[in-house]
Amino acid sequence: MTVFRSLERRIAVVFVGLLVFVMVLMLLIVGRSSEVIIGAESQRQLAAGARNFSNLIERDRRQLELAASVLAGDFGFREAIATQDRATVLSVLRNHGSRIGARMMMILSLNGEVLFDTRRPAEASHTFLFQALLDRAKQEERSGDVVLMEDMRPYQIVIVPIMAPVRTAWVVMGFPVEDTWAEEFSRSSGLDVSVVSAAGGIRASSLPPALRQALTAVQWEALDEQPKQLTLAGYHYHAVSLALGSQARVLLMLSLERSEAVFRNLEHILFIIAACSIGLFVVGSFSLARRIAGPVNHLVRAAQRFEAGDYSPAATVSAPDEIGQLAASFEHMRAGIAAREQKISRLAYEDTLTGLPNRTRLTESLSALGPDDHAVIAVLDLDRFAPINDALGHRVGDSLLQLVGSRLLEIMPQGGMLARLWGDEFAFLIEKAEPETARQFAERLLEALRKPIDIDGQKLDVSGSIGMAFYPDDGCDMDVLLRRAELAMYAAKQRQCGCMFAAEVGEGPPPEQLSLIGEMRQALECNQFVLYYQPKLDLAANQVVGAEALLRWQHPERGLIPPGNFIPFAEKTGFIREITPRLLEDIAAQAASWRERGMQLVLSANLSARDLLNPGLVRLMRELLETYGLSPQALCLEITESALMEDPMLAQAHLAELAGIGLKLSIDDYGAGQASLAYLKSLPVHELKIDQSFINSLALSPKDAAIVRSTVALGHALGLSVVAEGIESQTDLDWLREVGCDIGQGYFIARPMPAADFSAWLTRRALI
Amino acid sequence: MSKWVLAALPVAMLGWACAANAASINAMVRTPDGIPVEDAAVVLNPASGMPRPALRRATIEQRDREFQPYLTIVTKGTAIDFPNRDPFKHHVYSFSPPNVFEIKLYADKPAKPILFDKSGEVVLGCNIHDWMEAHVLVVETPWFAKSGADGSATIKHLPAGAYRLRLWHPRQRAVVADVKVELKSTDAQHFDMTIDVAPRAVVKKPPPDAGGY
Repeated sequence: MTVFRSLERRIAVVFVGLLVFVMVLMLLIVGRSSEVIIGAESQRQLAAGARNFSNLIERDRRQLELAASVLAGDFGFREAIATQDRATVLSVLRNHGSRIGARMMMILSLNGEVLFDTRRPAEASHTFLFQALLDRAKQEERSGDVVLMEDMRPYQIVIVPIMAPVRTAWVVMGFPVEDTWAEEFSRSSGLDVSVVSAAGGIRASSLPPALRQALTAVQWEALDEQPKQLTLAGYHYHAVSLALGSQARVLLMLSLERSEAVFRNLEHILFIIAACSIGLFVVGSFSLARRIAGPVNHLVRAAQRFEAGDYSPAATVSAPDEIGQLAASFEHMRAGIAAREQKISRLAYEDTLTGLPNRTRLTESLSALGPDDHAVIAVLDLDRFAPINDALGHRVGDSLLQLVGSRLLEIMPQGGMLARLWGDEFAFLIEKAEPETARQFAERLLEALRKPIDIDGQKLDVSGSIGMAFYPDDGCDMDVLLRRAELAMYAAKQRQCGCMFAAEVGEGPPPEQLSLIGEMRQALECNQFVLYYQPKLDLAANQVVGAEALLRWQHPERGLIPPGNFIPFAEKTGFIREITPRLLEDIAAQAASWRERGMQLVLSANLSARDLLNPGLVRLMRELLETYGLSPQALCLEITESALMEDPMLAQAHLAELAGIGLKLSIDDYGAGQASLAYLKSLPVHELKIDQSFINSLALSPKDAAIVRSTVALGHALGLSVVAEGIESQTDLDWLREVGCDIGQGYFIARPMPAADFSAWLTRRALI
Repeated sequence: MSKWVLAALPVAMLGWACAANAASINAMVRTPDGIPVEDAAVVLNPASGMPRPALRRATIEQRDREFQPYLTIVTKGTAIDFPNRDPFKHHVYSFSPPNVFEIKLYADKPAKPILFDKSGEVVLGCNIHDWMEAHVLVVETPWFAKSGADGSATIKHLPAGAYRLRLWHPRQRAVVADVKVELKSTDAQHFDMTIDVAPRAVVKKPPPDAGGY
C-alpha cells in the first residue's frame, strides 16, 4: 500500500478511518435503534391512541347523555311531550334536538314503542329496533351506542328517560357518524379513524379519498385490538380494529411514515454531523499528521543531505515535544559527524607536519580538472635537504619543512594549491597558468627560497629545484603529470638550473617505467626483489673469494626484469633509498648464512649515489654487522665512479666513515667517470673495478688492453686490489691473470645465480 | 309520617258513622321477599252501590325539599292544599292525565287548593327539585288505607257486603289483581298481600348546602 509509505498519510488514514468506522457504526446503530424504537413507539402510540379513542368515545357518549338528560329535564320539553299532540311533540323534538345537534330524535313509550320519530313524523308507532339498548337504559337510567339505522347509516344514539318526575317516556337522540365525526376523533387521538359496518363498507373516515378507496381493498377483518402492519396505497400503517357498538368497527391507523419522519430527520442531522466531523477530522488529522510528519520529513531530508556529504546545519525544529528532542539529538549527531568527518578528512587530506594538503588531496584536485581547464603542476624539491636533516637532526629538518611550507604559501597565487608530496618535495597546482606566468612564478619561488631560513637562531641556506608540467599539454593523467613534473625537477636539479619544464625534458622514461614506480613499492612489500650472486674469482689462486650481489626484479607478469630497466629510475626517484637497506640486510644475512656453512666469501653490494650520501648508511651497516655477527671484512660496498662525483666531498666523508668501521670499499665502473687520480688517491677504498667496457674489448682493442694493464698497475701502485668484470673468455682470463689482475668476474666464470644455486655451483667447481 | 297518615279523616268519619255494626279488614303488605311494604294503597271498592263521599280537603306539604306525604289517597273531588314549609319556592306540577296542573313558583300557601276531581293516579313533581316526588291516588270509594312502615294497613267501620280489594303502590312493578271480599257485619278479616315494588331514589336528593337550600 503506497498510501502507507508516508507517515503523514498513515496517521491521517488511520485517524479518519477509525472515525469513519465509528460514525458508520453509530449511524447503523442509530438506524437500527430507530427502527426498533419506531416499531415499539408506534405500537405504543397506537395502543395509547386506541385507549384514547375509547376514552373519547366514552366521554363523547357521556356528554351526549348528559346533554340529552338536561334536555329531557327541560320543563317546557316535558310539558310539550305531556300534551301528546303529535305536531307539538314533533316540533319540540326538532327544536330541542337542534339545541344539542341531534339529527334524529325519538320518543319511546316506557315499553319500547316508538311514539314519535323526527325522521318519519307520519309513521305510526312501532317497536324500537334497539331493545337491548333500551333495556340497558332501564337498568342504568340512560344508555348510548353506535348503531346502524335502517338505512345502514351509523348513528351514535343515546336513550334517556323523561322524568315527570317519575319515568314517563324515553327520548332517543341520534348523531350521525360521518366523516366530520371521524376527523374530529382523528384530531383528538392522533390516529387515522375509519368506521366500517359489519356488513362491509366504509361509513366514515378521516382518510383522504384515495386512501379510503384503498382501504376498501384491505383485509381489515383480520385486524383486532393487537396492532398489525397494514399497507395502504404504498404507505405503511400500524392498525387496530375496535368494536364500535355491536354493528360497526372502527379502524385506527398510525402512519409509520409520520412516526419515522422525526427519526429520519434525526438521522439526517446525524448524517450531516458525521459528514462534517469526518471532514473536520480529515483536515485536522492531516494538519496534525503534517505537524508530526513535517519535522520528521525535514529530518529525513537532512539525513539524506548528510548521506550525500552535506553537513551544513539543518533548519532546527523547535517543537518542545519528542520530535523537537529528536531534532536536537539529530543536530548534535550532525555536528558530531561533521566534526569527525572534518577530522578524518584532515587526516586523509592534510600533511600533518606542515598542515598543507597532502599528495592525495592534490591528486584529487588534479582529477577534478575538466578537459577545457588549463593548469600547471610545479614540483619543488629542496636541494641538500638530506645533509641538513642528517647534520642538524630530524627536529630541525621538520622545522625547516614547516618554515619552507609557510614561506611557499605566502607566494602561492590566488586559487592555487600547495601540497607537500613527501619528504622535502612540495607541489603547486595553479589553474589557468600559461608557460610564461609559470616561469615567472618559478622565479619568484626560487627567489623566495634564497633568503636564509632562521631556525632557533641558526641561519640555513636552502635552495630548490622546480619541475613543471602543464595540463593537459603534458598529460591528462594525474600520475603522468606529477611524474613528468618530478622528472623535470630531477633534470633541473641535475643541471642545477633551478627550473625546467616537462616539455624540455622530454617524455622521460617509457610508460613501462612510469608504471614501474607504483609497482616497485608493491614489489618491495611482496618481496619481488631478489638477489642474484656472481662469483668473484681470485685469478692467481683460481679460487672463488667472493660474490657480487646483483638485484633482480621477479615481476609476476613481466618475468625477470634486468636491473638496468629500473635501477636508474629508482635512483632518480630516490626510491632506491628504500630498496637499498633491504638489500644490505639480505646480503648480510646471506653472508652470515654462508659463513656458517664454511663458505668464507666476501659479498659485495652496489650503492647508488643517494645511498652513499644517506647519512644513515654507516649506522645501518654497523647494526647489520652486529646483528648478523659478521666481521666488517665480510662485506664490500661497491660505489660507481659517477656516484662519487655527484657530491665528491660528502662521498669522501661517508666513505671514510664506512672504512672506519672496517668495511671493504670498491670503486665500481672505474674508467667510465671523470674521477681524478688525486681524488681517487684520497679515497679510503680497497678495490678498483675496471669498467667492463674495457674488458669486453680486450681482444679487439690494444688501447683498451693497455688501459687495463696500466690501470692494474696503477691500482697496485695505490695499494688497491684490481677487479676485472665482464670476462667472457678463457683468453681474457688468461691475459688478465698474466697482467696481474687480482680478481675476475664475468659470464665465463659464472653468470649471476640465486643464492640457493650458488653453493651447488661452488661445490661443482671444486670438483673440477 | 305513617302514623299521621293513619289518622286520615275519611276513615275516622266512616268509623264514627257505622260504629254499631262495623266490620274491618287488616292487610299485611309484603314484597315477595317478605319485606313489609310502606305506602301501599289498600282500597276496597263495593261490588255495587258506591256511596257518595263528602267533599274533603287534604294537604301535601313541601318540607325539607320533599313532598309530605309521599302517597296521598283521596276520594274524587277532594281539594288538596300544597303549603310550602321551606324557606324557598317550589314549582309543583303534574303531567298525569287525571289532573294536569301546575303551581308556578310560590312560597307559603298557594291562593287556592287543587281540586282532584277525576279518579286515577297522579304523579306530582317539583320543577326545581327533580327528586321531589309525590303520588296522589284518587279513588271513588271512601274505604281505603295506606300501609305503614310495618306494611300493615287497616280499614275499619266497613258495612257488611261484597267488595273488591285493590292493592296498589306508586312503584309497583305489576298490577296486582283485585281480591273479592265478603264482609259480615262484625268481621275483622286479615289479608296477607304481596306486591313487587321497585326501589325509590331514582333521582338522588342532594344534601342541603350551608344555607339549607
